Amino acid sequence: MSARIMVIDDEKIVGDMAKISLEEEGYEVETFLSAAPALERLKEASFEIVVTDLKMKGIDGLEVLKTVKQLHPESKVIMITAFADLDVAIEAIKADVFDFFPKPVRIKELKESIRKALAE
Amino acid sequence: MNIERKITLSNAAYLVLIVIIAGFAVQQLNSVSEKQRFLEIADDLNASFLTMRLSEKNYFLFNDDNALVDIQSNIVQSSETLESVREDIVPVIGEPDYQSLRSGLDDYAAAVAQENSTHARDPATASLIRERGRSLENTSNQIIHLERERISEIISRSKLLLFVSFFAILVVALIASRSVTRSILRPIKQIERLARSISAGNFRKVETPKPRDEFGPVIDAINSMSEELEEREEELIQSRKLASIGVLVSGVAHEINNPVNNITMIAQTYDDMYPKLSEEQRIDFMRKVDQESERIKGIVTNLLDFAKPREPKPREIDINDLVVKALALVQNTLDVSRIDTKLQPGEALPHLFIDDNQVQQVLVNLFLNAAQAMTPGGRLFVTTALQEDGKMVDVVIRDTGKGIEPEYLTQIFDPFFSTKEEGGTGLGLSVSYSIIRNHGGNIRVESTPGIGTTFTIQLPVQTIQKGKS
Repeated sequence: MSARIMVIDDEKIVGDMAKISLEEEGYEVETFLSAAPALERLKEASFEIVVTDLKMKGIDGLEVLKTVKQLHPESKVIMITAFADLDVAIEAIKADVFDFFPKPVRIKELKESIRKALAE
Repeated sequence: MNIERKITLSNAAYLVLIVIIAGFAVQQLNSVSEKQRFLEIADDLNASFLTMRLSEKNYFLFNDDNALVDIQSNIVQSSETLESVREDIVPVIGEPDYQSLRSGLDDYAAAVAQENSTHARDPATASLIRERGRSLENTSNQIIHLERERISEIISRSKLLLFVSFFAILVVALIASRSVTRSILRPIKQIERLARSISAGNFRKVETPKPRDEFGPVIDAINSMSEELEEREEELIQSRKLASIGVLVSGVAHEINNPVNNITMIAQTYDDMYPKLSEEQRIDFMRKVDQESERIKGIVTNLLDFAKPREPKPREIDINDLVVKALALVQNTLDVSRIDTKLQPGEALPHLFIDDNQVQQVLVNLFLNAAQAMTPGGRLFVTTALQEDGKMVDVVIRDTGKGIEPEYLTQIFDPFFSTKEEGGTGLGLSVSYSIIRNHGGNIRVESTPGIGTTFTIQLPVQTIQKGKS
């Protein structure tokens, strides 16, 4: 059974490109433009990996991380951030984030990180 | 006339009035007391006259010769009294009355003296003495009666005078205090209006002729404060720009980072997946790269506008034409968002000297903001009107959108402030503000969350003179 990956980013292109590249690897990918519908979806289904942008209007990436860990503690969360902010990084690590990627994202590194997360 | 002079003058007027009235009252009182003194003397004389009449009776009825001596000594006494008080009573009763008293007494004395030499007691002499005694008594009584009447006359006249003058003072005081109050209140009202308009960010001045009183300098001071504030506001805007360089750096980085990330992700996917991509996908990818590049270009253009606002190149413009043109530019967006537009152009508006490109940029920006704040079915009202004083034209843009929270209202013109959920550089309103201020105008916002937002652009009818530019 292929792994299920959720991608949340308010930039549509990020989701689109991630979907094309990750589906090529054989994963099942669902993309969301904001956190609220993504969290709704997480109530009915679990995803092995959640890739989320940090800075979003409304519910931000940190809240997504915490909610995912509450609903599905076994899920791994990878965060994409525009800037590496130490305070946010510390909070994310405390909330058990799996990995951190600054923008612009290297897709190969993202794939590598997902492979590692799934291997654990 | 200044207010201090007015107050001093009106006080002096009261004082003069009061002194005149007091002087008059004192004079009347003096005259009453003189008459009173006369009445006392007259009472004494009257008493002597009565004694003489009594002795008269004793002499004729009871043959008492001593009585005649008494009469004579009384006559001498009265005569001396009359002589000694002459100075006092002549001014009171007048020379004629005094003389008639005097002659009455002399006539009586002559008759008594004649009888004293003969002691005849004949009826003719008796009746002469009686006749003259009665006449003396009557004269004296008449004079006293007359003087009593005069006293009561003086008293009632004084009463009337005091009553009338009380009202006169009251009326003068009312008129004077009204005039002083008005000359204080009018400029205070003017100053109040000015202060209100200054606090609303409209740096007007008092244009009406300045009062020549103490308020003249006050209004001068407020006018120069208004000028100063206007200058300071410019400085403040400049220093805010400097202060926002920090925000600018992170804001720009963040704004540009997203499209850059999109382009690199497209490029990586294009590279990795090239053989597997369809022809359409490849074209779609390149179009997206182009769009994202446009996004970066837009941000940079906005930044340049913000960093160095271009000098307005004013032309004579019909503001209603410009509003219609700007609306046409955004009509497509408004249609897509199903927003109903209502334009109410003011009639016979004076032409404005403005940079039409810049002001159009502001209008488009405000229309798009309004469209983004509304859900389908929202309404956009655009009104133009000449202000009452004919110095400014208002362009009012009202939407029925979600409104702006009060705590954000003061920040919305700050650079990089944005309440938009998706994108928005936070430069649009800041640039709009600079453009309108550069035109000598003003831009204001009022908003009620859940009801809508109203932007009012005020543009001066003629800041740039014809032929000057």
